[in-house]
Amino acid sequence: MNPSTTDVKAVMGVDIGSITSKAVVFAHNAIVSWAIISSGGNTSTAAIEVIHQVLSKAGLNDTHISYTIATGYGAANVLSANQSSSDISCHGRGISYLFPSVRTVVDIGGQFSRAFKIDHEGRLLTFVLSEKCAAGSGRLLQVIARVLQVDVQELGVLSLKSKNKVNFTTGCAVFNESEAISRIAEGASKEDIASGINQALAFKIQSLMERIGIEPDYALAGGGAKNIGLVNNIENLLKVKLFIPDEPQIVAALGAALIARDMVNPKSI
Amino acid sequence: MADYFAGIDIGSTMTKVVILNDAKVIASVIGNTGPEHRKLANRIMEEALSIAGLQLDDITCIVATGYGRINVPFADRQVTEISCHAKGVQSFFPAAKTIIDVGGQDCKGIKLNHGKIIDFVMNDKCAAGAGRFLEMMAESLGIKLEDMGKLSLTAKNEVAIASTCTVFAEQEVITKLGEGAALADIVAGIHKSITTRIIGLVNRIKIEQDVVLTGGVARNIGLIKALETKLGYPVKIPPEPMLTGAIGAAILANEIFRDIAEKGPPVSRKRPPLQEATFFV
Repeated sequence: MNPSTTDVKAVMGVDIGSITSKAVVFAHNAIVSWAIISSGGNTSTAAIEVIHQVLSKAGLNDTHISYTIATGYGAANVLSANQSSSDISCHGRGISYLFPSVRTVVDIGGQFSRAFKIDHEGRLLTFVLSEKCAAGSGRLLQVIARVLQVDVQELGVLSLKSKNKVNFTTGCAVFNESEAISRIAEGASKEDIASGINQALAFKIQSLMERIGIEPDYALAGGGAKNIGLVNNIENLLKVKLFIPDEPQIVAALGAALIARDMVNPKSI
Repeated sequence: MADYFAGIDIGSTMTKVVILNDAKVIASVIGNTGPEHRKLANRIMEEALSIAGLQLDDITCIVATGYGRINVPFADRQVTEISCHAKGVQSFFPAAKTIIDVGGQDCKGIKLNHGKIIDFVMNDKCAAGAGRFLEMMAESLGIKLEDMGKLSLTAKNEVAIASTCTVFAEQEVITKLGEGAALADIVAGIHKSITTRIIGLVNRIKIEQDVVLTGGVARNIGLIKALETKLGYPVKIPPEPMLTGAIGAAILANEIFRDIAEKGPPVSRKRPPLQEATFFV
């Protein structure tokens, strides 16, 4: 890229969620660095910490950042932000940058899931939330991971080794937990339970997507997208191919950074 | 002639057996259904028989109900729990119009009119609308389930619980405790929370007086109070709220027997022995 008359400084996007906080530094049309930390129940300190980490990793300090957009549940606590933006808008922008052909996005978070449709520029057209129930989000996986005494990140890989998937009969995380315990007592393997619970969540995601009317291409975001078993289940159920970002959790922070870039650089450049 | 009739109600959490003689309960047992429930109905029946000092063959007719009713090989008939609950409740409260039955894993509403069941609604998909919700809240707060009710009555400033899902409510409750809310106030909020869901469900069939509450939660004074506060009038509680299904089943056992007797000479039938179910394992 030719050096322009305007010195292109870096921009930053910060996504403060209730469970995790993410930040992205963007410059020269690429992600310079990113960071994810646990929000730890205090969004103010989380904001300070995640910004500190992402700048460190970039080898920069805050004087290098010409614009910051904050998003997420704790956006108001990002004191250095110039503006804030809704996190669905940021998600849409982020996905659109990574996968320009995507029109339907499913974000599987730790507390709830969302499905939304975007246009070719990543602008939000419509969205739908999962019900107020743990079984429609990553929380279901956390509950079962605890029963299996594994890390929730292992559920995906575990499920791939399943030979005899356990079928969960209800859509409630509490009842699924009891079922998992009973199945273990009956000798079911961790692999089979992991596979079964991924399928259970996939069913919920399927109904979520059907509520919004699916349109190709499709992408998954959020922590749930890192679960290969879940991804496979959704692809099989809906007979679609899913685009998965390399770092699904930073999509909104990336989108926020892109919106920040818009503010310093008109899009026509 | 002494005729004994038995009702066995296999719920998802508890199994109840009742033996009737001359319309009086002479023996009753409430046991944990447990994960092996499908096979063990016979054990609970044995216990009831031993309390009554009877043998299985002394029982003229046995009716099984509840979601595990198919696994009672020694029962003479299986009848739905709606019918059995309705029968049992009406034996105590002939004027009952609405039955609210809240068990361990489900919540049911039954509408009655002149002794006939005219409507029914059930939720067995969500733990937050059943006894399980209270169980889990008690566990996360570190108190006994049986103490929850009394504790809630001492609340000064009921805490509102926004989450409708058990899993999220647990987290909310722990957070509120950590922020210094009084335990009694939180417990009162918990009762209010589940009551809202119960009424929301049963209102689909239009709650009308007299309202009778059955199931394990009917022993919870805090829940009864929350329900009465929300409804604006008192609800009726049977003397043994967990046994209404089994009592109704035993009453039906009596009626079935009388029916058969009226229609001609009783058909003698070799009842299978009192043993574990070997199918549907």
